[in-house]
Amino acid sequence: MKEKSGVTGGKIAVYVILILLSILTIIPFAWMLSASLKLNKDVFAWPMEWIPSNPQWQNYVNIWTKIPLLKFISNTAILTVVVTLLQLLTSSFAAYAFAKLRFRGRNLLFLGYIATIAMPWQVYMVPQFLMMSGMGLNDKLLAMICLQAFSAFGVFLMKQFYDGIPDELCEAARIDGLSEYGIWRRIMLPLSKPSLATLTIFTFVNTWNDFLGPLLYLHTESKKTLQLGLRMFIGQYSAEYGLIMAASVVALIPVLIVFLALQKYFVQGIASSGLKG
Amino acid sequence: MKKMLKRTLSLMLALLMVAGLAACGNNAEQTSNPPAANSQPAENNNNNNNNDNQQSAGEEVTLKWAVWDINLTTYYQPLIDAYVADHPNVKIEMVDLGSSDYQNALITQLTGNADLDVVCVKDIPGYANLVKGGYLSDLSGAGIDSSLYGGTIEQITVDGKFYALPFRSDHWVVYYNKALFDAAGVDYPTNDMTIAEYDALARQVTSGTGAGKVYGSHFHTWRSAPSLFAVLDGQHTVVDGSYDFMKSTYEWVLAEQNDGICQDYGTLKATQTHYSGVFFNQQCAMMNMGSWFIPTQIEKVKSGESLATNWGIVKYPHPEGVAAGTTLGTITSVAVNAASAKQDAALDFVKFVGGEQGAEIIAKTGTFPAIKSDAVLDELAKMDGFPTDEASKEALSTTQVYLEMPMHDKAADIEGVLNEAHDGIMTGAMTIDEGIQKMNNEVSALLG
Amino acid sequence: MQTTQRPAASEAVVRSRKKRELVKNLVAYSFIAPNFVGFAVFTLVPMVMAVALAFLSWDGSNNNPITFAGFQNFIDLFQDPKFTQALVNTVAYAVITVPLTMAASLGLAILLNQKIHARNFFRTMMFFPYVASMVAVTAVWNMLFNPSMGPVNMILSGLGVENLPRWSADPNWFICMGTVILFSIWKFMGYYMIIYLAGLQGVNPDLYEAAALDGANPWQKFWYVTMPQLRPTTFFVTVMLTIQCFKVYDIFLMITNFGPGGKTRVLVGNIYEAAFTSRNFGYASAMAMVLFILVLIVTLIQFRGESSMKE
Repeated sequence: MKEKSGVTGGKIAVYVILILLSILTIIPFAWMLSASLKLNKDVFAWPMEWIPSNPQWQNYVNIWTKIPLLKFISNTAILTVVVTLLQLLTSSFAAYAFAKLRFRGRNLLFLGYIATIAMPWQVYMVPQFLMMSGMGLNDKLLAMICLQAFSAFGVFLMKQFYDGIPDELCEAARIDGLSEYGIWRRIMLPLSKPSLATLTIFTFVNTWNDFLGPLLYLHTESKKTLQLGLRMFIGQYSAEYGLIMAASVVALIPVLIVFLALQKYFVQGIASSGLKG
Repeated sequence: MKKMLKRTLSLMLALLMVAGLAACGNNAEQTSNPPAANSQPAENNNNNNNNDNQQSAGEEVTLKWAVWDINLTTYYQPLIDAYVADHPNVKIEMVDLGSSDYQNALITQLTGNADLDVVCVKDIPGYANLVKGGYLSDLSGAGIDSSLYGGTIEQITVDGKFYALPFRSDHWVVYYNKALFDAAGVDYPTNDMTIAEYDALARQVTSGTGAGKVYGSHFHTWRSAPSLFAVLDGQHTVVDGSYDFMKSTYEWVLAEQNDGICQDYGTLKATQTHYSGVFFNQQCAMMNMGSWFIPTQIEKVKSGESLATNWGIVKYPHPEGVAAGTTLGTITSVAVNAASAKQDAALDFVKFVGGEQGAEIIAKTGTFPAIKSDAVLDELAKMDGFPTDEASKEALSTTQVYLEMPMHDKAADIEGVLNEAHDGIMTGAMTIDEGIQKMNNEVSALLG
Repeated sequence: MQTTQRPAASEAVVRSRKKRELVKNLVAYSFIAPNFVGFAVFTLVPMVMAVALAFLSWDGSNNNPITFAGFQNFIDLFQDPKFTQALVNTVAYAVITVPLTMAASLGLAILLNQKIHARNFFRTMMFFPYVASMVAVTAVWNMLFNPSMGPVNMILSGLGVENLPRWSADPNWFICMGTVILFSIWKFMGYYMIIYLAGLQGVNPDLYEAAALDGANPWQKFWYVTMPQLRPTTFFVTVMLTIQCFKVYDIFLMITNFGPGGKTRVLVGNIYEAAFTSRNFGYASAMAMVLFILVLIVTLIQFRGESSMKE
C-alpha cells in the first residue's frame, strides 16, 4: 500500500517535471505565434497578453507583399524536394551495394565516406565555393542541389540499416530470379521505411533550414531561399516585430508538417541505424 | 579499428598528393590566364570601334546592369527610360543583387563570369576590391570631365586611373525637428555650428523622461555616425593606422550617452532600431544623417507615417577652425565590367547615368546626384515637401567633403576592424583607450 | 586428350567466373556511382583542395595569379589576435556547451524512457527546437531577451533584480557567451535526447532486475547500470556535440553578431570574413585547416575510445 502510493507519487513528480520542461521548451514558439498576431506597439506590452484580444490576421497577409515570400518559398520547396529525393534515392542505392554486394574496392570506397562523415562542411566550403564558381554554378539553385544531395551521412545511415537485414533474404530472392535492382526495389526499399523516414527528416530539415550554404551561393533576389529571405526581412524591417514573427511562423510550418508526419518512425530509425554509437 | 585508422590515414595521404597535383595544374592554368584577360579589354575596344558604327546603324544591344533594391529605388527606371528613348536599339536589363550583401554578391558574380555589362559600385571598400581584382574597365581615357564631380573622382583615382563614375553623392547634414525646438524654447541650429556648439545645443533641448523623453541628438549605430566627426579637420583619415585622434570624439559622444542626451547604443543595436523611426516619432530633436534621408522623410510626412512634420536641415557641425560646410560624404558609382563584350555600349550608358543628363533625372526623384550644378540644387530644393526656409536650402551645398572611407586597397579589412572597435567602445565592452589600442594594433598589422 | 581437355575446361570455367565477377562488380558500381560521383566531385575534391589552398595565396580573381605562400598563412594566423580570440572562444564555447547539453538530454531521455502517458507527445515537443529554422528561432530569442523591452528582463525586474543583464549585448563576456550557450542547449538537447533514448532501449532489462534483487536504489541503478551501459552512446554524443560546437557560425551571427566589439567571434566567422569580405582565400583555408585539425583530434579520440571499449 505504502509502496504503491510512493510509485504514483514518483509518477506525478515525473509528469510535473515533464510538463514544466515542455512549457519552457515551447514558450518561444508560443510567444512567436502570439506576437505574430499583434500590432508592433503591443508586441512588448507588459504584462503580456498571450492570446491577443484583437488578433492582427492582417500580418499574415502583409508579409506576402512586403517581400517576395512566395518566390522564396517556392525556391526553397523546389530545392528541398529535389535534394531529399536525390538523397534518398542515391543513398539507399549505394548503401545496398555496400551492405549486400561483394565487389572490388568496396572497403576502400566506403572508407572514403567514413573518413569524411565527421568533417564539417565549413572546413572545405571555401575551395568548394571557388570550384563551383569556376564551373559557373554560382547563383544557381543547381549549386545548392549539388552541394546537399550526395552526403556521406545518408549512405552511412542506410548501410547501417541494411546491414541489419538478413542476407538470407537476398539470397532467397536471387534464387527466385530477382536481379539486384529488383531486390533493392522489391525487398530493401519496403523494409527500410523507418530509416528512409529518418533520412527524410534530416535531409528535409537541413535543406529547408540551411542558411550558410545559400548565403554563399545565392545572391540574386529571385533565387534566394526562405531562410535568406527571412533574414533579409528582419534586416529591412527590424522594428516590424509582428510581421517578422508572422514570417517566422510561416517558415516553420512545412518542417513541422514533415516532422509530425514521419516522427513515429524516427526513434526506431535512429535506434536501428547505429547512430547511437 | 587500428587497421581502419591506418587505412584512413594512408587514404588521406594519397588524396593529399592528388591535391598537390591538382593545385599545380590549377596554378599553371591560372598564372597563364592574366595576360589573356588583360588583353581582352583592349581587343574589345578595337572590336567595338567597329561595332560602334554598326550600333549607330541600329544593331540591337542588350546591356545587363547589376543594381540593388529595384523596388525601393526610384531612379533606375527613369534613367533607363530616358536612355532608351535616345538609343532605341539598346535594351537594358537590371539584375537585382540585393542591398545587404551587394558587394560580395557582385564580386562573386564577376568571378563566376556572369554576363554583366554595367555594374553599380556601392561603397569604397567594395570598389577597392573590384579594382584589385581587375574586374573594372579603366575610365580615365573616356573623356570624362572630372571637374564636375566636386573632387570625388580624384578621391577614387588609383595610380592615375579611375574605374568607376560617381552618379550619386550624398553628404551628411543635421536634421532637426522645429516643433520640439519651439516647445523647448531653444533657438534652431544654424548652418555654422562647431561640434562643441552642437553638443551644447543637444543638451539644452533634451527634455522629459520615460516614453515621452525627447533626446537632444541621435547617433545611429553606424560607426560613421558618431566617430567620423574626428576626420573633419582634415588632419587624419581612417586609413592612417593610428587612431589616437578619435579619442576626444568618442569622449563627448559617450558623455552624451551617459548623460541621457542621446539614446543608448547597446539598446539601439539590440533592438535594431532604424534611425528613421526615431526621427519620425519625434524622439530626437536633432539627428545627424546623410542626405539620402531627405526624400524618405518628405514621403513619410506626406503618408502620415512621420510625425516630425515641421522640420529642417542645417550643415554638419565642424571642428573649431574649420570652414562651415565641411562634411562627410559617400558616393555610389557605375562602372563597366572589364570582361563585358560590349565595352563601348556599356561605357556610353555609364557616361549617361553619371553625366549631367543623368544627374537631372536623378535629382527629379529627390536623390542627390554626383554632379551638383546649380540647376540640380534648385531642382532638389524645389522638391514638394522640402523645408521652405533659406537655411535648409543652403545646407544642400558643401565646401569640403571627406569620404567616409577613403580609397585604400585594404579598405574592407580596415573597416572591419574599426567597426568592431566602435561596437566595443560604444557598448562599454572596451574603454576608449582599449578600443583605440585595438584599432592601432590591428590596422597596423593589416598595413604590414 | 584428357590432359588437354581439362585445362581447356577449367579455363572456360575461369573465364566465365571472371566474366561473372566483372558483371558483379559492374552491377555494384552502378549502384554506387550515382552517389559516389556527386560525393567525390563536391566533397572529396574540395576537401583535398582545402589542404592545398592553405599553402597558396589568391584573391579569387582570374586576373590575378595564384602564388605559393608556403607556411606564411599559418605564420600570419598565429600573429593575428582576431584568430587567437576566435580559437579561444570556439573551444570555450564547446567546453561549456557539451557537458551541459549532454546532462540536459540524458535527463530528458531518462524521464521519457519511462512508461508514461503522452510519451510521444513530450518527445515531439522536446525535439521540436532542433528542427525549427535557426533564423526564425533566433529572431524570437532576441526579442525574448531584448535588454530593454523583452519579457525576460521584465520578469527579472519584476522580481526586483537590479542591473539587468543586457544578454547578447552585454559587455561582460560571460553573459553574452552565456546567452548563446543557453540558446544552444535549448536548440540541441532534443536531438541528443533521441539518441540517448535509442541507447536506453538497448540496455538489457535483466541488469535492472539483478540490481533490484541486490537492493539497489534508483540512484545506484542509474550510476552502476545505466551509465556503464550507455558508455558508447555517451561517447558518440560527446564527439558529435563537440564537432557541432566547433563548426558553429549561424547561432553567433544571429544572436551576438560576434559582438560586442568582436568579443564573441568564432572560427567559422573568421573563415567567412577572410574568404568573402577580405577575399583572402588562402588565409581562410589555413584557418579551415585549424578547424580540420580540431575535428580530427576529436575523431581520433573517438576511434581510440571505441576500440578500447571493444577490447
